Amino acid sequence: MNSFKELLTIPRLKPIARREALQGLAFISIWFIGFFIFTLIPMLATLAFSFSNINLAQEEALRFVGFGNYQKMLSDSSLRNALGVTLKYALIALPVGLAVPFAVAVLLNNKHLRAKGFFRVMFYLPYVIPFVAGIFAWGGLLNPEQGWINQTLEALGVQNPPGWLNDPLWVYPSLVILGLWGIGSAVIIYLASLQGVPTELYDAAKVDGAGWWATMRNVTLPMMSPVIFYSLVLGIVGVFQYFLVPLVVTDGTGRPGGATMFFNLYMYKTFFTFQNMSYGAAQAWVLFILILVVTIFLFWSSKYWVYYAGETREG
Amino acid sequence: MKISFRWTLIPALALLLVFAACAAPATPAPQPTAVPAQPTAAPAQPTEAPAQPTAAPAQPTEAPAQPTTAPEATVAPTATALPTAAAGRTQIRWFVGLGTGTDPAQVTVQQEMVDKFNASQDKIQLVLEVVAYDAARDALATQIASGNPPDIVGPVGVSGAEAFHGQWLDLAPLIEKNNYDLTQYDKGAVDFYKVGGEGQIGIPFAIFPSAVFYQRDMFDEADLNYPPHKYGEKYKWKDGTEEEWTYDTLRKLALLLTVDKNNKDANDAAFDTKNIVQYGYEPQYQDLRAVGSYFGAGSFVAADEKTAQIPPQWADAWKWVYDGVWKEHFIANGPTRESQEFGQGNPFNSGKVATALTHLWYTCCVTDAGGNWDVAVAPSYKGKTTANFNADTFRILKASKHPDEAFTVLTYLLGDASLDLLKIYGGMPARTADQKAFFDSLNETWKQKVDWQVFVDGIAYADNPSFEGYMPNYNESFDLANVFLNKLYTTDGLDMDKEIAQFQKDLQAVFDKKATP
Repeated sequence: MNSFKELLTIPRLKPIARREALQGLAFISIWFIGFFIFTLIPMLATLAFSFSNINLAQEEALRFVGFGNYQKMLSDSSLRNALGVTLKYALIALPVGLAVPFAVAVLLNNKHLRAKGFFRVMFYLPYVIPFVAGIFAWGGLLNPEQGWINQTLEALGVQNPPGWLNDPLWVYPSLVILGLWGIGSAVIIYLASLQGVPTELYDAAKVDGAGWWATMRNVTLPMMSPVIFYSLVLGIVGVFQYFLVPLVVTDGTGRPGGATMFFNLYMYKTFFTFQNMSYGAAQAWVLFILILVVTIFLFWSSKYWVYYAGETREG
Repeated sequence: MKISFRWTLIPALALLLVFAACAAPATPAPQPTAVPAQPTAAPAQPTEAPAQPTAAPAQPTEAPAQPTTAPEATVAPTATALPTAAAGRTQIRWFVGLGTGTDPAQVTVQQEMVDKFNASQDKIQLVLEVVAYDAARDALATQIASGNPPDIVGPVGVSGAEAFHGQWLDLAPLIEKNNYDLTQYDKGAVDFYKVGGEGQIGIPFAIFPSAVFYQRDMFDEADLNYPPHKYGEKYKWKDGTEEEWTYDTLRKLALLLTVDKNNKDANDAAFDTKNIVQYGYEPQYQDLRAVGSYFGAGSFVAADEKTAQIPPQWADAWKWVYDGVWKEHFIANGPTRESQEFGQGNPFNSGKVATALTHLWYTCCVTDAGGNWDVAVAPSYKGKTTANFNADTFRILKASKHPDEAFTVLTYLLGDASLDLLKIYGGMPARTADQKAFFDSLNETWKQKVDWQVFVDGIAYADNPSFEGYMPNYNESFDLANVFLNKLYTTDGLDMDKEIAQFQKDLQAVFDKKATP
């Protein structure tokens, strides 16, 4: 394995290679410039803000408050509730969000399935519909009084259909159902990955007498593990950033009973409703650190469950 | 020292991935259900009701193209680049968005007023800045905080202005310096803007008294007389008996006017609460404090300006509404009022609600309710009638760098431009001499002969103190009240006394919160 020092050594390049490298850098520099101006610098600015007292609703001289905003979080019961809501939702949404698109991809990859193209388009189609429009449509469908879902259930004889988004018991399943609307992209990626699994491995498994489940467990899942890992990381980031759906379906009120007051929504309200910029900035940094810690843990754990073909591992 | 490549790479990759994920939420990556597929930055927020006393629901709009080369109005979620001040002129910025004024048709007229003003003199260049309602508070707060405030803000109601408590200029010295005549307004309307400790922070412009909107056809169909049009008048039942016009009488009417799909009213033992096709009453676009104030004026904050309180008549009003929603079913509950069938937050406009207590600015939003509605007076509670009151005006920020020039513009908006502006805002002129012309213009739109005098008479029953007045930590307190009202509309089976006690406790906690450590 290369040492870190070797990695940092820039090899002498021939003129053509150097020109190509410079061209490559020129192209990628646009992204870097955008990243610095629109992401990194604002992030660092929020870090500075989080140690100050900027509150747009109050006239107060700018001053340094140390870790005051971070200490305030420890006694903020609303923030604790928001974090709890986010974690509860993550426990339901993440497994479903990983399993359902995977299952759909496996179905779409089945050699016995007819009209594969049609089904793939059908599963992908909702993804191209503007997400907010989808949320509004689902909000209407899940309306406990006038929504089609409950009207259908009542027509089928269900006496007390769920309150969906207005019921603390049903609100998370409702949000999960609503989220499944946009699985088309994940399905396509899983599908591409499934089709990339070498057929020789399946043939070998068949020769060894492996059934469907054994093949899935010993061939498909290990070969798919990098994509599952990728989905898991982005899924966790997404869960922590979950915002748009509760904002739209509950007008940001957190109803029912605070069950949809997610961390990110609370942060948004701190920033833009309460106009407490410094406290919002501190929350943003706590959120960032939480996501970072979880992501690092996932990367660390990946050596135990993610299989990269061709990778040699140290003993 | 040998550094393990893997141990360097893991956090680096993790960091990059987090950065990438945070920076690009719209990535077409595989998405578990939790992953929002859209950018999460401040989307337009659907609101159940205009949070401000506005003449029109806030709508994100685009500025129409202007036929002149004058500075164009812009509607943007944030402030846009401003035109350079014309040579020798002082630039005065007029910020619109905290209340009404963002509708494209309104922007066009406002820009015309700006152009007229700019053409009429050569000392001041007036610039119109229109910011979408949902983003206006943030935009204005940011402009003030960054030392780049506009000069004039409005039209803005009391609640919208209280979000910037303490930041409005006391106009008294400018009124005196310019000999501005305040006698053209009703004294009560002038004093409405005289706030202890802050001075005369506004001059009356548009007022919005409240009344009960009702559907004549629904009353006819139910064989009921219309509600009274004069304060002090009793309600006459068809059998000739008379009854005080109180909230209990309104409740009785609302029950008779609430109908299920089998055409049974809410008094009928066989009434189907699951299939209501017409509701009897709606507190249309009224926030928690407004709902309370119809039962009597009050405030969430005690005289010491620190202690949270719930006026007992407000608690009664909330219980009356709550029972109307969940026990007697004459008011639509949260999911129903949000449904398309019942107007998506504007139930009376769906044409399926018989009565609605709201303000004059509601004429903005009643175009789909059919053309045969009228207005009646607000009922009384415990012998006292309160028809709460909204008022919009233009204000000058303390932070304005050109208060004298801003006052010149202010007097133009309240004077020469006022009739054109009031017409587009749907505001009743505070200047009594202009009121007849205003109602004549409303009659051109509403040809069913609405009894507008009801609103004029309602001014005498305005709430004092205003329900929209100051409370500590205003934005968070206001948000808490909205959440509580939302809970009332969406949750059955609440113990209201317990809920109200808890709300007061929560409100006190918000009042006591220090905004900064």
